[in-house]
Amino acid sequence: MTEATQRPLTAIEATAEVLEALQARQPIAVVVPVSGAKELVGKRVVIRQAKGGAKRLVGSFGDSDLDAGALALGTKRIEGRRASREGVHELESSSGATIEVYVEAHHPHPDLVIVGAGHIAQPLCSIGSAMGFRVIVVDDRPEFATEERFPEADRVVRVDFRDPFADIPMHSTSHVVLVTRGHKYDYECLRHLLQGEVEPPYVGMIGSRRRVRAAFSQLQNEGFGERDRLSRVRAPIGLDIGAETPVEIAVAVLAEIILQWRGGTGAPLMDQERILDRFFKEPEPR
Amino acid sequence: MNSHNDYDLYKAISEKVREGRKIALATIVSAKGSVPRGVGAKMLVDPGENLVGTVGGGCGEGEVIEAAHEVIRTGEPQMVRVDLTEDLLSLSPAVCGGTMEVFVEAITE
Repeated sequence: MTEATQRPLTAIEATAEVLEALQARQPIAVVVPVSGAKELVGKRVVIRQAKGGAKRLVGSFGDSDLDAGALALGTKRIEGRRASREGVHELESSSGATIEVYVEAHHPHPDLVIVGAGHIAQPLCSIGSAMGFRVIVVDDRPEFATEERFPEADRVVRVDFRDPFADIPMHSTSHVVLVTRGHKYDYECLRHLLQGEVEPPYVGMIGSRRRVRAAFSQLQNEGFGERDRLSRVRAPIGLDIGAETPVEIAVAVLAEIILQWRGGTGAPLMDQERILDRFFKEPEPR
Repeated sequence: MNSHNDYDLYKAISEKVREGRKIALATIVSAKGSVPRGVGAKMLVDPGENLVGTVGGGCGEGEVIEAAHEVIRTGEPQMVRVDLTEDLLSLSPAVCGGTMEVFVEAITE
């Protein structure tokens, strides 16, 4: 499981591992002792993930219990999405001594794949890019799939909707938004996504109640079940904020993506925290 | 969604060390209450140069920078406990209302 190095990594060695992992679009976790055995404080081990998902430890604290604990913590951090769970944990060595370690995970730049290059795709691309997504826009119409229309996109690709993702690999950080010009295309693209090797963490499809129902019943007839990936498709897409314009709709969609990524509730904080209740006995009529 | 900033910061670490700069890295490793930046936020201190990243703007950053200078001098890592709960009602713009622990370490080749 461990590599030949039976010593911990230095901070700069761990830095090289992080850069290499992110360039290779792989997640990585770093475990840093922050108190306890003096010779370990400030040193690192990192947890890397192989293609199949298997985790391995690079570097070693020189103690099998500490290494196993670090591997477990790093694995959990790589697989959990909420940043707020990062922090300090205690590990016990084989001899019973404890150290405190800080654990953090780094995920490759998330992708936002926008299928359909129309009027909602443009604000999705610009706001998504500002949020830190690597944006990929695809459409089958050459006059829409242009770099001029999507200056912030990382890639603008002309595809055949009968096989839209042939050149767009999906991975564990892909967010896919289906906003094609016709329900037929959304349906076809969704079908490809449901059959793909990797299930993207977010797949959303725009459409009226009727259109969504039509697509889902057709997919169910084809054997896609309620309990599989189909049930996790976000359709209709987005949070209910009363969005009407293309920009507002893009905000509602991206808000739902943040909600899923970070794990919020989507409710107004004011209603959740109820701080103002202490000030106003009778709530102000809205 | 902030992996982009992480990447830039790690890149800055590796470049500065390659250039032979003496630098310190400050990382928020735990936080309670209202703090301006969460766990994982990082700041690179390279004395005489601009800071890279931030652990919270005015809120306690001065203490961290001081510790960073000391850590670069001694080579010994430090855990800095920053208490931002005092003077919550003062008018200072740097009041936030929480506590945090910042791990400060020298980074060398």
